[in-house]
Amino acid sequence: MIHLAGIERIFRVGGEEVHALRAIDLEIGQGEYLSIMGPSGSGKSSLLNIIGLLDRPNAGRYTLDGRDVTGLSDDEQARVRREKIGFVFQFFHLVPRLTAAQNIELPMVLAGIAPEERQGRIARLLADYGLEERAGHRPDQLSGGQCQRVAIARAMAMQPEVILADEPTGNLDRHTGQEVMQLLEGVHRAGGTLAVVTHDPEIGARAARRLRMIDGAIHSDERGDQRG
Amino acid sequence: MRSADLVEFAWRVVRGYRSRTLLILLAMGIGVAAVIAVSSIGEGARLYVVNQFGALGTHLVIVLPGRSETAGSMPGVLIGETPRDLTLDDALALKRSPSVRRLAPLIVGAGDVRAGALSREAPVLGSTAELMAIRHMSLAQGRFLPAGDPRLAQPVCVIGAKLADELFGPRAVLGEWLRIGDRRFRVVGVLAAQGQSLGFNTDEIVIVPVAAAQALFNTEALFRILVEAKSREQIVPAQTDIEEILRVRHEGKRDVTVITQDAVLATFDRILRALTLAVGGLAAISLAVAGILIMNVMLISVTQRRAEIGLLRAIGATGRQIRLAFLTEAVLLALGGAALGLAAGKLGQVVIGQIVPSVPFTAPWWALVAAPLTAIVTSVLFAVMPARRAARLDPVQALSKR
Repeated sequence: MIHLAGIERIFRVGGEEVHALRAIDLEIGQGEYLSIMGPSGSGKSSLLNIIGLLDRPNAGRYTLDGRDVTGLSDDEQARVRREKIGFVFQFFHLVPRLTAAQNIELPMVLAGIAPEERQGRIARLLADYGLEERAGHRPDQLSGGQCQRVAIARAMAMQPEVILADEPTGNLDRHTGQEVMQLLEGVHRAGGTLAVVTHDPEIGARAARRLRMIDGAIHSDERGDQRG
Repeated sequence: MRSADLVEFAWRVVRGYRSRTLLILLAMGIGVAAVIAVSSIGEGARLYVVNQFGALGTHLVIVLPGRSETAGSMPGVLIGETPRDLTLDDALALKRSPSVRRLAPLIVGAGDVRAGALSREAPVLGSTAELMAIRHMSLAQGRFLPAGDPRLAQPVCVIGAKLADELFGPRAVLGEWLRIGDRRFRVVGVLAAQGQSLGFNTDEIVIVPVAAAQALFNTEALFRILVEAKSREQIVPAQTDIEEILRVRHEGKRDVTVITQDAVLATFDRILRALTLAVGGLAAISLAVAGILIMNVMLISVTQRRAEIGLLRAIGATGRQIRLAFLTEAVLLALGGAALGLAAGKLGQVVIGQIVPSVPFTAPWWALVAAPLTAIVTSVLFAVMPARRAARLDPVQALSKR
């Protein structure tokens, strides 16, 4: 469903060109669970941003669900993000003045979904992620793990086909990180496509398919369960 | 995105940043209140003048001796030749015009008014019975000057309320005699207290028959003739008739000035309206300042909320939605500021009205509409730039910085 061909991404930092992604060819099937690993600056996040349509490649072609999305306008890309992609970030990125429930509601508000429908979905998501007690709390009243659970619930609000997680456990202790990973893997088990960027080998090893990136290129692409 | 959701989103932002919101509300409020208060002072002054003129009489045409060749200077004062006097017969001749309803000749002087041992200097008006109707005077007691041949110098007078009090105290006034100069007059009426009317306090005057005043001041010359036209439409024909009658009576010389109250009033009205607009406009500058403040605060807000904007982009907000969110926020702030300003302006108007009760302070309708509208328009205009900046933010960069 995700097909990248010859993707290049070049940043200009000062007068210097930084090749963030070089000639990336990647095919991700429906329902795959994939981890992207590699040292800092190897282009993991850049790749995720391209897949998530937050960034545009300098060259190459990106096909999502059979549709070429490379040349779409900003607003069309926004619509694709809204319908098909859910993001989970290292720093949660919850809106501080909104409650947990309101944060979860946000994508549905942007999509113009009717309020009654939204309330039903929020209730279900709060229940699914064990947040019923925390619905009316603001992010500063929540623990890191709870914040990330709100963020996952928010990413799931529009029932996207793809979940992109950029260092989802990077800001959490080991135990909470494990919990969060189990929640994300639950999404995958339910049929969603999950891509996780991490530099924690233990987290990366959980995925069925493991990409390793070095210097903006895919260094290795392993499949199969590694867990003993 | 539904518009109700858009408003709710903006409303939460407005509530979320309290001090920022208060600051903007204050700036907008002061701007709007200033426009309203200042323009209501201007409008109050205008209405005050209009009312004062109204109290002088309606459909009034005033005949003055002498011809004013240059506008603004008093006729007969600045020109070299002495104009021919206006006489009582001139005044009576004006009754021939079909456009004239009534008229009152007027002689004005000052006299030493004495009653018993008490004495004081007071303005003395010589006129006829019709003066009361023309000048909308009302009596507290007794009757006005008797109708009849104005050439008869009957020894009667009507006095102002304050003068009556000062000369006679609590005693009955009607039927009492008083002396003006070397003549005696019987008080037949007392004017109702009316107060100041364009610099002339009717509470302190003595009104005597015009012929008596002529004798008293030893002059034939009238100070002016007050003419009331039959209707508003008859003012101009009356003016023409008067000029013609007097020209014929004065051997073909146009040596009187005929002014209409409406012309004077219209001039005052125009000047004061322009003045109100001008000061209102000055106050509106504070609205522009408030607009710039909104722009500043919004720009800071865009920087502070970079991560949020990036997140909104990531979860599917279009650039248009981001722009709309910021503009809606500006509109909400402007509406709040305008409401606050309207309330404060109204309050200020009431307070000023308490301090100066004689002037009818009211904000003109155009200020009530223009001030909030200007507030909203400026704040939206000044929010456009920050909103566009927010919408153009690169989501990757916005999200990468904490």
